[in-house]
Amino acid sequence: MRIDYKLNDKFDLGIFIPAAILFCIGLAAIYSSTLNNPHAAGNFQKQIIWGIGSFVLFFVIYSLPTNTFKTLAIPTYVLSLLLLVVVLVIGKRISGQKSWLGLEGLGFQPSEIAKLGTVLALAYFLSRKNTNIESFKDILIALSVGLFPVILIMLEPDLGTSFIFFGLILAMIFWKGISLFGLFVVLSPAIVAISSLFDLYYLIGSLILVIVALLFFKKDILFSGSIFALNVGAGFFTTYLFRALSLHQQTRIRSFINPGADPLGAGYNAIQAKVAIGSGGFWGKGFLAGSQTQLQFIPEQWTDFIYCVIGEEFGFIGTIIVMTLFLYLFMRILKLASSAKDEFLSLTLIGILAIYFVHFLINVGMVVGIMPVIGLPLPFVSYGGSSLLADILMLGIAANIYRTRKNYT
Amino acid sequence: MNEDRFASVSRKSIVYFIIVSAFALLGFRLFQMQIIEHTDYKEKAAENAIKPIEITPLRGVFYDRNMNVVVSNVPAYTLRITPAEYDTSLNKVIETVIDEQPGYINKILKENRIYSKFIPVRIKRDIDFKAVSWLEENSEHLPGVDYVVEMQRGYPAGIQGSHMFGYVREITPRLLEKHKDYYKPGDMIGYSGIEKAYEKFLRGVKGYNYVLVDSRRREIGKFKDGAEDIPAIKGKDLVLGIDSDVQRVAEESLKGRRGAAVAMDPKTGEILAFASAPDFDLNEFAYVTSKDYLRKLYTDPDKPFFDRVTSAALPPGSTFKIMEAIAALDQGDITTSFTIDCRGGQTFFGRYFKDDAAHGTVNVIHAIEHSCNVFFYNLIYKIGMPEWEIYARRFGFGRKTGLDIDDESAGFIPSVAYYQKLYGPDWPKSIMASLGIGQGEVSVTPIQLVQYCSLIANDGVTYTPHLVRGYLTNKDKKLVPFTYKKIDLGIRDSIFNIVKQGMFLVVNGSGTAAGIKDKDIQIAGKTGTAQNPHGKDHAWFIGFAPFDNPKIAVAVLVENVGFGATYAAPIAKRMIEAYLEKDKLKEIEKKLQPELPQNLIGEAVAH
Repeated sequence: MRIDYKLNDKFDLGIFIPAAILFCIGLAAIYSSTLNNPHAAGNFQKQIIWGIGSFVLFFVIYSLPTNTFKTLAIPTYVLSLLLLVVVLVIGKRISGQKSWLGLEGLGFQPSEIAKLGTVLALAYFLSRKNTNIESFKDILIALSVGLFPVILIMLEPDLGTSFIFFGLILAMIFWKGISLFGLFVVLSPAIVAISSLFDLYYLIGSLILVIVALLFFKKDILFSGSIFALNVGAGFFTTYLFRALSLHQQTRIRSFINPGADPLGAGYNAIQAKVAIGSGGFWGKGFLAGSQTQLQFIPEQWTDFIYCVIGEEFGFIGTIIVMTLFLYLFMRILKLASSAKDEFLSLTLIGILAIYFVHFLINVGMVVGIMPVIGLPLPFVSYGGSSLLADILMLGIAANIYRTRKNYT
Repeated sequence: MNEDRFASVSRKSIVYFIIVSAFALLGFRLFQMQIIEHTDYKEKAAENAIKPIEITPLRGVFYDRNMNVVVSNVPAYTLRITPAEYDTSLNKVIETVIDEQPGYINKILKENRIYSKFIPVRIKRDIDFKAVSWLEENSEHLPGVDYVVEMQRGYPAGIQGSHMFGYVREITPRLLEKHKDYYKPGDMIGYSGIEKAYEKFLRGVKGYNYVLVDSRRREIGKFKDGAEDIPAIKGKDLVLGIDSDVQRVAEESLKGRRGAAVAMDPKTGEILAFASAPDFDLNEFAYVTSKDYLRKLYTDPDKPFFDRVTSAALPPGSTFKIMEAIAALDQGDITTSFTIDCRGGQTFFGRYFKDDAAHGTVNVIHAIEHSCNVFFYNLIYKIGMPEWEIYARRFGFGRKTGLDIDDESAGFIPSVAYYQKLYGPDWPKSIMASLGIGQGEVSVTPIQLVQYCSLIANDGVTYTPHLVRGYLTNKDKKLVPFTYKKIDLGIRDSIFNIVKQGMFLVVNGSGTAAGIKDKDIQIAGKTGTAQNPHGKDHAWFIGFAPFDNPKIAVAVLVENVGFGATYAAPIAKRMIEAYLEKDKLKEIEKKLQPELPQNLIGEAVAH
């Protein structure tokens, strides 16, 4: 094997550079959106400090021996579960959610660590030699490992982060090689659950589809029946859960179905976000010149609605550049995951990719009005120390795996 | 890795496919929003960020005929509080300063809670100067508290003119529905009188300043440095025909009575004075009217809101005799040599009609001088009922005069058809005798009578009565007159000369109003008494002066007092004197109201 001694052989610029550029674009957008807001003064500087810290951590992670991740998988998972319990007991409540831990003035969300912990733990379990993804028991264990933190996060309650977990579990068991039927068993309750949020007809319709699929797979009656029961249970449990949700989350979900119904309430952000992006046009209104941004039509735009700032001030050019950077980064990680020779590392990379991708999809989908308003940051770009730290930490793992990719033959 | 139907390679392809299609979808959506629908969103963003601020133009003022300002704009200070910046612990202090009960500020802030906290709330209008200087001194300790200067109506000439001037008030929801093309909630609108009739001239044209606002509608700055701003255009100033001195005399003379006094220039149709009593204080309507004052006005049995000049329709009494004399002379029914022997009463169609006295043999001139009823009982039968109605209508009775303010009564002139409907084809002709002396079903308004008097004074020619002569151009203050319809009866001057002789003798001979004879001014007139079945009779007087070149025609009504000569004629005299002899006026004024100026100053301070 020919060994390339150029920098690119040890250090994947294809991973690092898009993330670094995205962070810089994010800084510009944070600067612009907080310029006229006295409550957010200093956010730009804070983000720089977090950024520097995160990139230092990136190189620390990058330099670790690659087997550290496997060693630390279970401890990280256990620790993150512990922190999730702690946050429920002593956490700070910010905008209706009890998801923050105060550490010497620095806000910190344990769910950020829980994502990574769950990816590592799930990769660990799925890559064990005797794990059979086709066995009902192992699927159940995998789902339990993945969904246990979700229950704790739902209690905060943080709907958005839960979606991340669904995404990474699905991606990882898919990557592990689940069969079409297995995928159906895992996925159908989720589809039924989402259908139940609309109304009863959707719920009944989706249950009929489940019956049709069960007939197609031709498994034995008892097994099919229990899967069907699982689906019914998921549907009604979700309906019950929806009612248990906090009122503002219920209205958020409802306003997704019709954002115009309550233009000053829950639908307000969605409408103003679209106006910001649409009014940017092809070239944008120019840095610091977006009226929607500068006049603060979108509350806390520097966090979940940061993409609007880019869309308004840098236009279609700006949004497409950001998209391209993400696409390139995702392709790079996907390529690395499929070429990784160690299954644990491959699964970890897919888990990380899923986390990034679901964040990206929901965030951008939300601001362009094709997804509900679910509070998820845009990786590397949005303001927020702990999420930036987590994103770059995971990037460090990816870079680390690239560095040692030839050692795992 | 498990190599089943989903080979590792195909799994990578599936993930690849999912990612790429998500990007394609989002990319397409961005293309749609930022390029295809860009213009729509751009407009919405502009609507969001640019707020037009209405500038209310200064309302036009009123001048009288001598170019004295009679209705003006005066600045008044309004205290405002911006709830978002305000600290309610200041309530107590401020309530003391503006002289209000504890809890006053909280009550008003509560009422305005539906609006943005960043929009200032008007707490109290017309605060006094002491409060303003206190606010000024302590402004740095009063966050969210400020005051603005707002214009309200002022009446500097010392005349009421309540019914004529009218008042402005905040637009009602009903009116807003009708005029939503111009007005917005909270706008002031002319609600009665000239303020209402000439609203479109007076209000001017609103201007707009465009400002940038943030998401809380707070102003950030000017849009394009004010390049797109539209300045407001000041309302037009009106010039009235009113003579403030005559108006003042009319109002003072009617004080404590119920009635109306109206004067008109017979040559032009301009109203010189327009007073209805009791009246009300327009100052109370300058901006916000207290509920107590309104209740007082509405429940007053004397109905101060009722404009008697245009709406009190009462029998004209003997003032109608002039019209009948003209009709009979014009038709050739009689000449000046025609006489009647008055024995103090006469029977017509089986009913006896009496007179105040036996006047003996009278011709038309002396019949007017002495207001001989018997003469006119006979005369109406000579004229004929249909013709009587026609002449009454020619003089403007039975229909609105078309005065330039609203709410006029047409009065009533009965016709043959009317009596046939009431009593059948054989209606009692004795009724005509009553009509002959202006009693019975016939009713007229003071404004109709002054028009009638003007027609007599000016030999059958005048103009539609009107209060407003024209408006002043904003630029060089040139008068642009309104045109009014000319009324020409087409009756020979010689006929007018006959009746005017009679009217001259009413005052200057041994007639019914000899008491108001003036040594300098030759006044001609006619008294009238409207019979009132519910109480004391109403007194009428119509008159004009100077006799040989009439410059002023007057109609006066005093309700429930008795004879016209005693109560109505002296008021007419004072008005005529005020108009024709400015010097003499001052003495009279001193006699009537020796402390008038001091009184006014006292009032202005009290408000």
